[in-house]
Amino acid sequence: MLPALLFGLLVSLQWRTQQERSELTVRYNAPLLDAATTLQKEQDQLKADLAQLRAELDDIQRGAATQSTASRDLQAQIEELRAAAGLTERAGDGVVITLDDARSPSVTQANVDKSICHNTDLTDIVNTAWRGGAQAIAINDERIVGSSSVYCVGSTIMVNGTLMSPAFSVVIIGPQDKLLGAFDDPNELRDIKQRRDVYGLGFRVARQAQLKVPAYRGAMNIRYGTPQ
Amino acid sequence: MRTNAGAFWTTIIALFLGVLVVTQIKAQDVYSRSLELETPSSLTTLIANLAERNNGLRDEIFDLRLRTETAREDAASGKGSLTEAQRQLAQLEVFAARTAVKGQGINVRVDGSFDDKALSDLVNELRNAGAEAVAVNGVRVGPRSWFGMNADRSLTVDASAIRGPWNVSAVGATEVMYVAMTRTGGIIGQFELIYRSTSFSVTKESGLALPSLANPPRG
Repeated sequence: MLPALLFGLLVSLQWRTQQERSELTVRYNAPLLDAATTLQKEQDQLKADLAQLRAELDDIQRGAATQSTASRDLQAQIEELRAAAGLTERAGDGVVITLDDARSPSVTQANVDKSICHNTDLTDIVNTAWRGGAQAIAINDERIVGSSSVYCVGSTIMVNGTLMSPAFSVVIIGPQDKLLGAFDDPNELRDIKQRRDVYGLGFRVARQAQLKVPAYRGAMNIRYGTPQ
Repeated sequence: MRTNAGAFWTTIIALFLGVLVVTQIKAQDVYSRSLELETPSSLTTLIANLAERNNGLRDEIFDLRLRTETAREDAASGKGSLTEAQRQLAQLEVFAARTAVKGQGINVRVDGSFDDKALSDLVNELRNAGAEAVAVNGVRVGPRSWFGMNADRSLTVDASAIRGPWNVSAVGATEVMYVAMTRTGGIIGQFELIYRSTSFSVTKESGLALPSLANPPRG
Protein backbone atom coordinates (compact mmCIF):
# COMPACT_ATOMS: atom_id res chain seq x y z
CA MET A 1 0.00 0.00 0.00
CA LEU A 2 2.83 2.40 0.86
CA PRO A 3 4.48 2.22 -2.58
CA ALA A 4 1.10 2.90 -4.17
CA LEU A 5 0.55 5.90 -1.93
CA LEU A 6 3.99 7.27 -2.76
CA PHE A 7 3.45 6.63 -6.46
CA GLY A 8 0.17 8.57 -6.29
CA LEU A 9 1.93 11.47 -4.58
CA LEU A 10 4.71 11.49 -7.16
CA VAL A 11 2.44 11.36 -10.18
CA SER A 12 0.32 14.16 -8.85
CA LEU A 13 3.27 16.35 -7.87
CA GLN A 14 4.99 15.83 -11.21
CA TRP A 15 1.84 16.74 -13.12
CA ARG A 16 1.25 19.91 -11.11
CA THR A 17 4.88 21.01 -11.21
CA GLN A 18 5.12 20.63 -14.99
CA GLN A 19 1.95 22.67 -15.37
CA GLU A 20 3.47 25.49 -13.32
CA ARG A 21 6.88 25.39 -14.92
CA SER A 22 5.50 25.92 -18.38
CA GLU A 23 3.95 29.16 -17.19
CA LEU A 24 6.50 30.40 -14.73
CA THR A 25 9.95 29.39 -15.78
CA VAL A 26 11.14 32.35 -17.76
CA ARG A 27 14.63 32.98 -18.96
CA TYR A 28 14.99 36.43 -17.43
CA ASN A 29 13.48 35.85 -14.01
CA ALA A 30 16.64 34.89 -12.14
CA PRO A 31 18.68 38.06 -12.87
CA LEU A 32 15.59 40.25 -12.37
CA LEU A 33 14.88 38.57 -9.07
CA ASP A 34 18.47 39.14 -7.95
CA ALA A 35 18.25 42.80 -8.93
CA ALA A 36 14.98 43.31 -7.01
CA THR A 37 16.37 41.61 -3.89
CA THR A 38 19.59 43.62 -4.04
CA LEU A 39 17.68 46.90 -4.46
CA GLN A 40 15.42 46.09 -1.50
CA LYS A 41 18.46 45.36 0.70
CA GLU A 42 20.05 48.59 -0.51
CA GLN A 43 16.86 50.47 0.37
CA ASP A 44 16.86 49.05 3.92
CA GLN A 45 20.43 50.29 4.38
CA LEU A 46 19.64 53.71 2.88
CA LYS A 47 16.67 54.10 5.23
CA ALA A 48 18.86 53.21 8.20
CA ASP A 49 21.50 55.75 7.06
CA LEU A 50 18.85 58.42 6.63
CA ALA A 51 17.41 57.78 10.09
CA GLN A 52 20.87 58.06 11.62
CA LEU A 53 21.58 61.34 9.80
CA ARG A 54 18.23 62.76 10.88
CA ALA A 55 19.01 61.89 14.50
CA GLU A 56 22.49 63.43 14.18
CA LEU A 57 21.19 66.69 12.75
CA ASP A 58 18.48 66.74 15.38
CA ASP A 59 21.07 66.47 18.17
CA ILE A 60 23.07 69.36 16.73
CA GLN A 61 19.90 71.44 16.38
CA ARG A 62 18.82 70.74 19.94
CA GLY A 63 22.23 71.73 21.24
CA ALA A 64 22.23 74.93 19.21
CA ALA A 65 18.66 75.77 20.24
CA THR A 66 19.81 76.57 23.75
CA GLN A 67 21.73 79.59 22.42
CA SER A 68 18.80 81.95 21.73
CA THR A 69 15.07 82.33 22.26
CA ALA A 70 14.50 82.45 18.49
CA SER A 71 16.32 79.13 18.09
CA ARG A 72 14.36 77.57 20.95
CA ASP A 73 11.03 78.66 19.42
CA LEU A 74 12.01 77.33 16.02
CA GLN A 75 13.16 74.04 17.52
CA ALA A 76 9.85 73.65 19.37
CA GLN A 77 7.95 74.22 16.12
CA ILE A 78 10.16 71.73 14.31
CA GLU A 79 9.57 69.07 16.93
CA GLU A 80 5.83 69.61 16.87
CA LEU A 81 5.79 69.33 13.07
CA ARG A 82 8.03 66.25 13.04
CA ALA A 83 5.58 64.50 15.34
CA ALA A 84 2.59 65.66 13.25
CA ALA A 85 4.28 64.50 10.04
CA GLY A 86 5.07 61.01 11.40
CA LEU A 87 8.82 61.47 11.70
CA THR A 88 8.90 60.39 15.33
CA GLU A 89 8.03 57.08 16.95
CA ARG A 90 4.68 57.01 18.69
CA ALA A 91 3.35 54.80 21.48
CA GLY A 92 -0.15 54.35 22.85
CA ASP A 93 -3.29 52.25 22.89
CA GLY A 94 -5.22 51.42 19.77
CA VAL A 95 -6.26 48.58 17.51
CA VAL A 96 -4.43 46.09 15.33
CA ILE A 97 -5.88 44.89 12.04
CA THR A 98 -4.66 41.64 10.57
CA LEU A 99 -5.24 41.16 6.85
CA ASP A 100 -4.23 37.96 5.13
CA ASP A 101 -4.94 35.88 2.03
CA ALA A 102 -7.50 33.13 2.57
CA ARG A 103 -5.75 29.94 3.63
CA SER A 104 -8.72 27.73 3.02
CA PRO A 105 -8.59 24.63 0.80
CA SER A 106 -11.71 25.94 -0.93
CA VAL A 107 -9.67 28.68 -2.65
CA THR A 108 -9.61 27.96 -6.36
CA GLN A 109 -8.29 29.79 -9.40
CA ALA A 110 -11.85 30.94 -10.08
CA ASN A 111 -12.27 32.79 -6.79
CA VAL A 112 -8.64 33.59 -6.02
CA ASP A 113 -9.10 37.29 -6.74
CA LYS A 114 -11.71 37.57 -3.99
CA SER A 115 -9.71 35.43 -1.57
CA ILE A 116 -6.50 37.44 -1.48
CA CYS A 117 -5.69 40.88 -0.15
CA HIS A 118 -5.08 43.76 -2.50
CA ASN A 119 -3.40 47.12 -2.06
CA THR A 120 -6.82 48.78 -2.23
CA ASP A 121 -7.88 46.77 0.85
CA LEU A 122 -5.01 48.35 2.72
CA THR A 123 -5.82 51.86 1.50
CA ASP A 124 -9.46 51.30 2.52
CA ILE A 125 -8.37 50.16 6.00
CA VAL A 126 -6.09 53.19 6.36
CA ASN A 127 -8.90 55.50 5.21
CA THR A 128 -11.30 54.00 7.79
CA ALA A 129 -8.65 54.33 10.50
CA TRP A 130 -8.08 58.05 9.82
CA ARG A 131 -11.83 58.51 9.74
CA GLY A 132 -12.01 56.77 13.13
CA GLY A 133 -9.58 59.24 14.66
CA ALA A 134 -6.28 57.38 14.23
CA GLN A 135 -3.23 59.34 15.35
CA ALA A 136 -0.56 57.07 13.88
CA ILE A 137 -0.63 54.07 11.54
CA ALA A 138 1.98 51.58 10.37
CA ILE A 139 1.63 48.69 7.94
CA ASN A 140 4.17 45.95 8.68
CA ASP A 141 6.31 48.59 10.42
CA GLU A 142 6.13 51.11 7.57
CA ARG A 143 4.73 54.37 8.95
CA ILE A 144 1.92 55.92 6.95
CA VAL A 145 2.61 59.62 6.30
CA GLY A 146 1.42 62.32 3.90
CA SER A 147 3.55 60.98 1.05
CA SER A 148 2.86 57.28 1.65
CA SER A 149 1.48 55.07 -1.05
CA VAL A 150 0.37 51.46 -1.08
CA TYR A 151 1.21 50.16 -4.50
CA CYS A 152 0.72 46.81 -6.16
CA VAL A 153 2.83 45.22 -8.88
CA GLY A 154 1.87 41.70 -9.87
CA SER A 155 1.16 40.03 -6.54
CA THR A 156 3.69 42.09 -4.60
CA ILE A 157 2.60 45.05 -2.53
CA MET A 158 4.85 48.01 -1.81
CA VAL A 159 4.30 50.38 1.10
CA ASN A 160 6.56 53.44 1.07
CA GLY A 161 8.49 51.62 -1.65
CA THR A 162 9.19 48.58 0.54
CA LEU A 163 8.29 45.14 -0.83
CA MET A 164 5.74 43.29 1.30
CA SER A 165 3.64 40.14 1.27
CA PRO A 166 0.73 39.06 3.46
CA ALA A 167 0.00 38.72 6.28
CA PHE A 168 -0.31 42.44 6.93
CA SER A 169 -0.40 43.87 10.41
CA VAL A 170 -1.87 47.37 10.49
CA VAL A 171 -1.04 48.95 13.83
CA ILE A 172 -3.25 51.92 14.62
CA ILE A 173 -2.82 54.21 17.61
CA GLY A 174 -5.83 56.29 18.59
CA PRO A 175 -9.08 56.32 20.57
CA GLN A 176 -9.94 52.62 20.80
CA ASP A 177 -13.72 52.87 21.08
CA LYS A 178 -14.02 55.30 18.20
CA LEU A 179 -11.69 53.21 16.04
CA LEU A 180 -13.55 49.98 16.82
CA GLY A 181 -16.81 51.78 16.07
CA ALA A 182 -15.47 52.83 12.67
CA PHE A 183 -14.32 49.30 11.80
CA ASP A 184 -17.58 47.77 13.08
CA ASP A 185 -19.68 50.18 11.02
CA PRO A 186 -21.44 47.94 8.46
CA ASN A 187 -21.05 50.66 5.83
CA GLU A 188 -17.27 50.59 6.17
CA LEU A 189 -15.10 47.99 4.44
CA ARG A 190 -18.14 46.15 3.11
CA ASP A 191 -16.18 44.41 0.39
CA ILE A 192 -13.48 43.14 2.76
CA LYS A 193 -16.04 41.89 5.28
CA GLN A 194 -18.03 40.13 2.58
CA ARG A 195 -14.90 38.43 1.22
CA ARG A 196 -13.98 37.39 4.75
CA ASP A 197 -17.41 35.82 5.24
CA VAL A 198 -17.71 34.20 1.83
CA TYR A 199 -14.17 33.44 0.70
CA GLY A 200 -12.28 33.18 3.98
CA LEU A 201 -10.16 36.33 3.51
CA GLY A 202 -8.24 36.91 6.73
CA PHE A 203 -9.50 40.09 8.40
CA ARG A 204 -9.38 40.59 12.15
CA VAL A 205 -9.72 43.69 14.29
CA ALA A 206 -8.35 43.58 17.84
CA ARG A 207 -8.19 46.12 20.63
CA GLN A 208 -4.64 46.34 21.94
CA ALA A 209 -2.81 48.38 24.55
CA GLN A 210 0.72 49.79 24.55
CA LEU A 211 1.30 49.73 20.84
CA LYS A 212 4.32 51.22 19.11
CA VAL A 213 4.43 52.75 15.68
CA PRO A 214 7.89 53.50 14.25
CA ALA A 215 8.96 56.81 12.75
CA TYR A 216 8.79 57.26 8.99
CA ARG A 217 12.15 56.19 7.54
CA GLY A 218 11.71 57.25 3.93
CA ALA A 219 12.71 60.38 2.08
CA MET A 220 10.65 63.58 2.27
CA ASN A 221 11.78 64.67 -1.19
CA ILE A 222 10.36 68.19 -1.18
CA ARG A 223 11.79 69.52 -4.44
CA TYR A 224 9.01 71.22 -6.33
CA GLY A 225 6.72 72.65 -3.65
CA THR A 226 7.66 75.91 -1.97
CA PRO A 227 5.79 77.44 0.98
CA GLN A 228 3.72 80.45 -0.04
CA MET B 1 -9.12 -14.41 -5.15
CA ARG B 2 -10.51 -12.40 -2.27
CA THR B 3 -6.93 -11.51 -1.21
CA ASN B 4 -6.05 -10.30 -4.72
CA ALA B 5 -9.17 -8.18 -4.98
CA GLY B 6 -8.45 -6.69 -1.55
CA ALA B 7 -4.88 -5.80 -2.56
CA PHE B 8 -6.13 -4.26 -5.80
CA TRP B 9 -8.64 -2.03 -4.09
CA THR B 10 -6.16 -1.10 -1.35
CA THR B 11 -3.72 0.00 -4.06
CA ILE B 12 -6.36 2.05 -5.86
CA ILE B 13 -7.41 3.73 -2.62
CA ALA B 14 -3.79 4.46 -1.72
CA LEU B 15 -3.16 6.03 -5.16
CA PHE B 16 -6.30 8.09 -4.78
CA LEU B 17 -5.23 9.21 -1.30
CA GLY B 18 -1.82 10.21 -2.62
CA VAL B 19 -3.38 12.42 -5.29
CA LEU B 20 -5.79 13.87 -2.72
CA VAL B 21 -2.99 14.82 -0.32
CA VAL B 22 -1.12 16.73 -3.01
CA THR B 23 -4.29 18.40 -4.25
CA GLN B 24 -5.06 19.52 -0.72
CA ILE B 25 -1.57 20.94 -0.19
CA LYS B 26 -1.65 22.70 -3.54
CA ALA B 27 -5.12 24.13 -2.90
CA GLN B 28 -3.84 25.84 0.21
CA ASP B 29 -1.09 27.35 -1.90
CA VAL B 30 -3.17 28.19 -4.96
CA TYR B 31 -1.98 31.77 -4.77
CA SER B 32 1.60 31.91 -3.72
CA ARG B 33 3.01 35.39 -3.14
CA SER B 34 6.62 34.53 -3.67
CA LEU B 35 8.67 37.11 -5.54
CA GLU B 36 10.07 34.18 -7.53
CA LEU B 37 6.66 33.71 -9.12
CA GLU B 38 6.38 37.26 -10.48
CA THR B 39 6.50 37.67 -14.25
CA PRO B 40 9.53 39.41 -15.82
CA SER B 41 7.25 42.36 -16.61
CA SER B 42 6.17 42.73 -12.95
CA LEU B 43 9.73 42.30 -11.74
CA THR B 44 10.89 45.02 -14.14
CA THR B 45 8.23 47.40 -12.79
CA LEU B 46 9.19 46.53 -9.21
CA ILE B 47 12.85 47.16 -10.01
CA ALA B 48 12.05 50.55 -11.56
CA ASN B 49 10.03 51.47 -8.46
CA LEU B 50 12.74 50.35 -6.07
CA ALA B 51 15.44 52.14 -8.05
CA GLU B 52 13.41 55.36 -8.09
CA ARG B 53 12.83 55.18 -4.30
CA ASN B 54 16.49 54.44 -3.65
CA ASN B 55 17.55 57.41 -5.79
CA GLY B 56 15.24 59.64 -3.73
CA LEU B 57 16.77 58.30 -0.53
CA ARG B 58 20.32 58.83 -1.86
CA ASP B 59 19.52 62.44 -2.85
CA GLU B 60 18.11 63.18 0.59
CA ILE B 61 21.08 61.53 2.33
CA PHE B 62 23.50 63.59 0.23
CA ASP B 63 21.64 66.79 1.05
CA LEU B 64 21.35 65.93 4.74
CA ARG B 65 25.10 65.13 5.02
CA LEU B 66 25.97 68.60 3.73
CA ARG B 67 23.45 70.24 6.05
CA THR B 68 24.63 68.25 9.06
CA GLU B 69 28.22 69.27 8.38
CA THR B 70 27.28 72.94 8.02
CA ALA B 71 25.13 72.85 11.16
CA ARG B 72 27.98 71.22 13.10
CA GLU B 73 30.45 73.90 11.95
CA ASP B 74 28.00 76.70 12.73
CA ALA B 75 27.31 75.29 16.19
CA ALA B 76 31.06 74.90 16.89
CA SER B 77 31.77 78.49 15.88
CA GLY B 78 28.92 79.75 18.09
CA LYS B 79 26.90 81.01 15.09
CA GLY B 80 23.91 78.90 16.02
CA SER B 81 21.92 77.14 13.35
CA LEU B 82 18.99 79.40 12.59
CA THR B 83 19.36 78.95 8.83
CA GLU B 84 19.21 75.17 9.10
CA ALA B 85 16.27 75.36 11.50
CA GLN B 86 14.36 77.65 9.12
CA ARG B 87 15.09 75.35 6.23
CA GLN B 88 13.90 72.32 8.17
CA LEU B 89 10.78 74.14 9.28
CA ALA B 90 9.91 75.11 5.69
CA GLN B 91 10.36 71.52 4.51
CA LEU B 92 8.28 70.09 7.34
CA GLU B 93 5.50 72.62 6.84
CA VAL B 94 5.11 71.39 3.25
CA PHE B 95 5.39 67.73 4.25
CA ALA B 96 2.79 68.07 7.03
CA ALA B 97 0.50 70.24 4.84
CA ARG B 98 0.70 73.09 7.35
CA THR B 99 1.49 75.76 4.80
CA ALA B 100 0.07 76.85 1.48
CA VAL B 101 2.25 75.55 -1.33
CA LYS B 102 3.00 76.69 -4.84
CA GLY B 103 4.79 74.89 -7.62
CA GLN B 104 4.53 72.92 -10.83
CA GLY B 105 2.46 69.77 -11.12
CA ILE B 106 -0.67 68.36 -12.68
CA ASN B 107 -4.42 68.68 -12.39
CA VAL B 108 -6.82 65.78 -12.81
CA ARG B 109 -10.34 66.89 -13.62
CA VAL B 110 -13.13 64.40 -12.97
CA ASP B 111 -16.54 65.31 -14.34
CA GLY B 112 -19.37 62.87 -13.71
CA SER B 113 -20.06 59.95 -11.44
CA PHE B 114 -17.18 59.16 -9.05
CA ASP B 115 -16.80 57.86 -5.48
CA ASP B 116 -14.70 58.16 -2.34
CA LYS B 117 -12.80 54.90 -2.88
CA ALA B 118 -11.77 56.00 -6.37
CA LEU B 119 -10.71 59.41 -5.05
CA SER B 120 -8.62 57.71 -2.38
CA ASP B 121 -7.03 55.48 -5.05
CA LEU B 122 -6.30 58.49 -7.23
CA VAL B 123 -4.56 60.33 -4.37
CA ASN B 124 -2.65 57.13 -3.53
CA GLU B 125 -1.48 56.90 -7.14
CA LEU B 126 -0.41 60.56 -7.18
CA ARG B 127 1.58 60.04 -3.98
CA ASN B 128 3.23 57.01 -5.50
CA ALA B 129 4.25 59.18 -8.44
CA GLY B 130 5.91 61.60 -6.02
CA ALA B 131 3.22 64.22 -5.34
CA GLU B 132 4.47 66.56 -2.62
CA ALA B 133 1.16 68.29 -1.97
CA VAL B 134 -2.38 67.41 -3.03
CA ALA B 135 -5.68 69.30 -2.88
CA VAL B 136 -9.18 68.41 -4.07
CA ASN B 137 -11.31 71.36 -5.17
CA GLY B 138 -9.10 73.61 -3.07
CA VAL B 139 -9.25 71.42 0.06
CA ARG B 140 -5.75 70.35 1.05
CA VAL B 141 -5.17 66.67 1.70
CA GLY B 142 -3.05 66.12 4.82
CA PRO B 143 -1.14 63.20 6.35
CA ARG B 144 -4.25 62.00 8.22
CA SER B 145 -6.88 62.95 5.66
CA TRP B 146 -9.73 60.60 4.86
CA PHE B 147 -12.27 60.47 2.09
CA GLY B 148 -15.98 59.85 2.34
CA MET B 149 -19.19 60.13 0.38
CA ASN B 150 -22.50 61.75 1.34
CA ALA B 151 -25.96 60.49 0.50
CA ASP B 152 -26.24 63.17 -2.23
CA ARG B 153 -23.12 61.63 -3.90
CA SER B 154 -20.94 64.60 -2.97
CA LEU B 155 -17.51 63.55 -1.72
CA THR B 156 -15.79 64.62 1.46
CA VAL B 157 -12.22 65.32 2.41
CA ASP B 158 -11.89 65.32 6.22
CA ALA B 159 -15.66 65.88 6.43
CA SER B 160 -15.57 68.93 4.12
CA ALA B 161 -18.12 68.34 1.38
CA ILE B 162 -16.86 68.86 -2.16
CA ARG B 163 -19.13 68.63 -5.17
CA GLY B 164 -18.22 67.60 -8.69
CA PRO B 165 -16.65 68.28 -11.03
CA TRP B 166 -13.60 67.46 -8.95
CA ASN B 167 -10.18 68.93 -9.57
CA VAL B 168 -7.41 66.96 -7.95
CA SER B 169 -4.28 69.09 -8.03
CA ALA B 170 -0.85 67.76 -7.18
CA VAL B 171 2.44 69.63 -6.85
CA GLY B 172 5.46 67.59 -7.84
CA ALA B 173 7.46 66.44 -10.87
CA THR B 174 5.04 67.28 -13.69
CA GLU B 175 6.25 64.81 -16.29
CA VAL B 176 6.57 61.88 -13.87
CA MET B 177 3.06 62.38 -12.48
CA TYR B 178 1.55 63.03 -15.91
CA VAL B 179 2.99 59.81 -17.34
CA ALA B 180 1.98 57.84 -14.22
CA MET B 181 -1.62 58.97 -14.64
CA THR B 182 -1.99 58.67 -18.39
CA ARG B 183 0.09 55.59 -19.22
CA THR B 184 -1.65 52.67 -20.91
CA GLY B 185 -3.26 50.54 -18.21
CA GLY B 186 -2.77 53.34 -15.69
CA ILE B 187 -5.30 54.56 -13.19
CA ILE B 188 -7.05 57.01 -15.52
CA GLY B 189 -7.41 54.30 -18.17
CA GLN B 190 -8.93 52.01 -15.54
CA PHE B 191 -11.30 54.73 -14.35
CA GLU B 192 -12.42 55.34 -17.93
CA LEU B 193 -13.42 51.70 -18.21
CA ILE B 194 -15.26 51.68 -14.88
CA TYR B 195 -16.91 55.13 -14.94
CA ARG B 196 -17.92 55.14 -18.58
CA SER B 197 -20.03 58.28 -18.48
CA THR B 198 -17.45 60.29 -16.55
CA SER B 199 -14.85 62.42 -18.28
CA PHE B 200 -11.27 62.49 -17.00
CA SER B 201 -8.66 64.96 -18.14
CA VAL B 202 -5.11 65.39 -16.98
CA THR B 203 -3.31 68.68 -17.57
CA LYS B 204 0.22 69.85 -16.85
CA GLU B 205 0.32 72.93 -14.65
CA SER B 206 3.23 75.33 -14.22
CA GLY B 207 1.91 77.39 -11.33
CA LEU B 208 -0.36 75.53 -8.93
CA ALA B 209 -1.21 77.16 -5.61
CA LEU B 210 -2.62 74.87 -2.92
CA PRO B 211 -3.90 76.06 0.46
CA SER B 212 -2.71 74.73 3.80
CA LEU B 213 -4.64 72.11 5.75
CA ALA B 214 -7.82 73.75 7.03
CA ASN B 215 -7.97 71.97 10.40
CA PRO B 216 -4.69 70.29 11.31
CA PRO B 217 -5.43 67.34 13.60
CA ARG B 218 -4.32 67.62 17.20
CA GLY B 219 -2.96 64.80 19.33
